[in-house]
Amino acid sequence: MTVITHPRRKSNLAAMIDSAGGVSVGVALAQARANVEGLRARAMTVVDAAIEALEATPAPTSLPETPARLDQVYSAATSLIDAAGPFELFDLCRAAAGLCDLIGATDPEQPFDWRIVIVHARSLRLLQALPPESVEERARILASLNEVIERKLAQTG
Amino acid sequence: MSALGEALRKSAVINLSGAVTMVVDDSPFALELTSQSLMGFGIRPRHTCLDAAEAMEILKEQNVDLLVVDCDMPGIDGFELVRWLRRSGLDPNAFVPVIMTAAHIRRPRVAEARDCGASFIITKPFSSATLLERIVWVARDSRPFLEVGDYFGPDRRFRTGPPPQEERRADLIRKKEFEERQAETAPAGESD
Repeated sequence: MTVITHPRRKSNLAAMIDSAGGVSVGVALAQARANVEGLRARAMTVVDAAIEALEATPAPTSLPETPARLDQVYSAATSLIDAAGPFELFDLCRAAAGLCDLIGATDPEQPFDWRIVIVHARSLRLLQALPPESVEERARILASLNEVIERKLAQTG
Repeated sequence: MSALGEALRKSAVINLSGAVTMVVDDSPFALELTSQSLMGFGIRPRHTCLDAAEAMEILKEQNVDLLVVDCDMPGIDGFELVRWLRRSGLDPNAFVPVIMTAAHIRRPRVAEARDCGASFIITKPFSSATLLERIVWVARDSRPFLEVGDYFGPDRRFRTGPPPQEERRADLIRKKEFEERQAETAPAGESD
């Protein structure tokens, strides 16, 4: 196969990053964290809406309906990860990512066990309500979700 | 901060204030989260787009220094946008550093993620520190661009050394869980 190599030119970004002025990395990160922290309340609203969307998505009543319903669930789960990630709500992210892993690996033309969506929605609600110090309860919830996902992933091959 | 490399020690000074940056994400809230992080770094995003089509129109007309794109978007997704850009013949935009972000990548799309020509893909959840590390990394990225078959983008082969930074947090969590499971299932006689 023919390979054409374009020697890399120094990008504008490379030239400007070391130019005079700017801020220290410590200050840049502190500013970024403060900016993001200002969005926490809105992020929690987005997380709540995403869980509501999971709870409200009805199971498909026919096989042709399955891909659209799975897309709805996938979209809700990824919007939850988008919003929860910057605030280090890793338990919520992991639970949502597990659901995405399964949907991503599933043939949308095949029936999907909708109990998995229901269990994830309930678990996300529980994780959201548990205080941060409930480490063991959180770990148990995630472990059982993980077990479900692994079993189903094994079935999808 | 322990994950930061030497180039990103707290006292290091970076100047990104002049970087003409475009952020593309179909989620207005995710777009704002990314923009707020960038503004903390001193980057004021010049172009924020809610869809790839709008981004394409701007990229045809104006040069950018950094592109941050969400992978999963309705219509033209992030992978298609980056593949189009690399093949567009737009100079210098076709060679611009591109960071892609993803809440999740579906298994059948992993190959697309690898082959679209992005400089780096980061999966969520990621911190502001990770985003800044990647921006500095792509700024200093010295890989040549290759045209191989359908691929046009930075050389995907990393020639020397370990990955440029530590693994992302989610990988570390999974690795720890895996090691714990292994330890639990290991026969007692095998332990030291």
